Amino acid sequence: MGEAQKGLLSVIEKLKGSTEQEVRIVLLGLDNAGKTTLLKSLASEDVNTITPTQGFNIKSVASHGMKLNVWDIGGQRKIRPFWKKYLENTDLLIYVIDSADKKRFEETGLELSELIDEENLKGVPVLIFANKQDLATASPASEIAEGLNLHTYRDREWQIQACSAVSGEGVQDGMNWICNNIVNKKK
Amino acid sequence: MAENDSEWVVESIVGYLGSPEWVIPVTDFMENKCTVFDDEDENKLSYTEIHHQYKKLVEKLLENYMQEVGINEQQFLDACTSPFAKSQTLQSVFQPILATDDFQMFRSLMVQKNMELQLQALRVIKERNGALPECLTDGVDVMTELQQQEMKILQEVLKQSKEEYDKEISMRLLLEEDTGSTSKGDKPMAKNGDSQNPASPPGQQSTIAKVNSKPVIKEERKTAATGGGDQRDCGRNSVESGVLPAVRAPVKYGEPSHSSSPQNKEQRSSSSHTAAETWLEEAHKEAGFSKPYTELTVSQQEQLQQRAAYLRQQRDKLQALKKEQQKTKQTVPSDEAPASPTPAPVTPPEAVGQSQRNGVCTTPPPQYSDHSSKQKEISPEEKKKLQKRKHLADKLKEEVIKK
Repeated sequence: MGEAQKGLLSVIEKLKGSTEQEVRIVLLGLDNAGKTTLLKSLASEDVNTITPTQGFNIKSVASHGMKLNVWDIGGQRKIRPFWKKYLENTDLLIYVIDSADKKRFEETGLELSELIDEENLKGVPVLIFANKQDLATASPASEIAEGLNLHTYRDREWQIQACSAVSGEGVQDGMNWICNNIVNKKK
Repeated sequence: MAENDSEWVVESIVGYLGSPEWVIPVTDFMENKCTVFDDEDENKLSYTEIHHQYKKLVEKLLENYMQEVGINEQQFLDACTSPFAKSQTLQSVFQPILATDDFQMFRSLMVQKNMELQLQALRVIKERNGALPECLTDGVDVMTELQQQEMKILQEVLKQSKEEYDKEISMRLLLEEDTGSTSKGDKPMAKNGDSQNPASPPGQQSTIAKVNSKPVIKEERKTAATGGGDQRDCGRNSVESGVLPAVRAPVKYGEPSHSSSPQNKEQRSSSSHTAAETWLEEAHKEAGFSKPYTELTVSQQEQLQQRAAYLRQQRDKLQALKKEQQKTKQTVPSDEAPASPTPAPVTPPEAVGQSQRNGVCTTPPPQYSDHSSKQKEISPEEKKKLQKRKHLADKLKEEVIKK
């Protein structure tokens, strides 16, 4: 039964028959980390009218001849249990951290390590955005990488990228890494 | 040879996607679940669950179909990817299947369905009442000039969107006739709405409802108080047995003193029964069935009942606003008269009655101005209502302009 369903799903997937390569990216992180701002910045939309996300946002961005479908899911504590419903068939995880919110580094580290252990994200490359680098109190990306023990990740590609979603600085560097990585992986 | 094979399969699939076995469950699902889908940029978490349910439904239906016809997934895939299936007309037929894998497409289908049903519900109410629902037109007296302007805009927008909607439906009818899927006959509705209430023309009805035949009754009360009371009841019943079942409900529960008259009871129950029947009939005509309700198959009846329930729900939402207004009106002493069987003590002095009579002919009755001063006390509530209306108007405007 389960096999038949799987087969049917793949049938429907192929039905779309688009020539473009589609990539599913999930954008996660604590509340107020700047996920929606980053998403809007990726889609070149106005970032000045963003309110806390109660549900989720989706944007499709064309980049390097690929169609990136980016899913930004609200980061409030009460929404986090829903994250795992969105992880299936994910090609890449973007995890956003508020680099100036030192009090919550531990919390954000815990959430990230839980995600890394998810079955659906096994081997899925992860890009960590050390966001809000425009703030004077922001910790540098290297410090955050150390705090998160990123160097212990052996089962997947990972990258940490300092950025400011508001100014757009560093965002494109991160996207370049994503595209290179996906192309390598899918080939 | 293989091509011929896939062509046959494509035709069979397209036929299935137009058959009741597919259309009824899928349409049912969409109509039942679309209410939470709005036009906001942000998606609600509940959308995901509904999309998941939809996937399951489509998978189940397609599995059953493939089993029945005796084709396997490979044949299904071959057929769907054949050049024949890639033609423009067929692509739109396959949309509901593609929506299982494409959340954005699913979402837009649901948003569209929701919008359609909302406009449809508004239209049904408009046609049944012969005018816009009173919750949208009534209570003008308590509104400021600015709010009145908003109401005008809203009415304009409603009219426009109705026209656009009609156009779209007729276009779709044509298109669907081509592809052979069932259609929603909205055309009979127009006739239906008018012919259903020949006894109580909508215009008359609303006057009765608004004025409550009070001035006339008061004159008669001078000569025979009880006779006046009876006539009031009749007046109310004629309103009730019309097309405002949702309004009838609060009357029933809110005024138990009325039910002491057995005749009233009888009339009420029968009128509620006919109202239910008309709703079913409505839904049934809307669904494009030409046979009488009782001759339909069980699944069709079920569908109609669900449809009727949905429309009732939509109507109730709109009329809930009106209920609130009526309730506040009932708190005004002069309006309480028709509710109580012995209204004599509440009847205001002669002079007031006189002024009321004058008021009716030209401007809204004075109790409304009473009422408006009351309204000021509960202005936050009123503001909320108006904001809702404004929001609705904006939505509809946006929708119309987009199209």
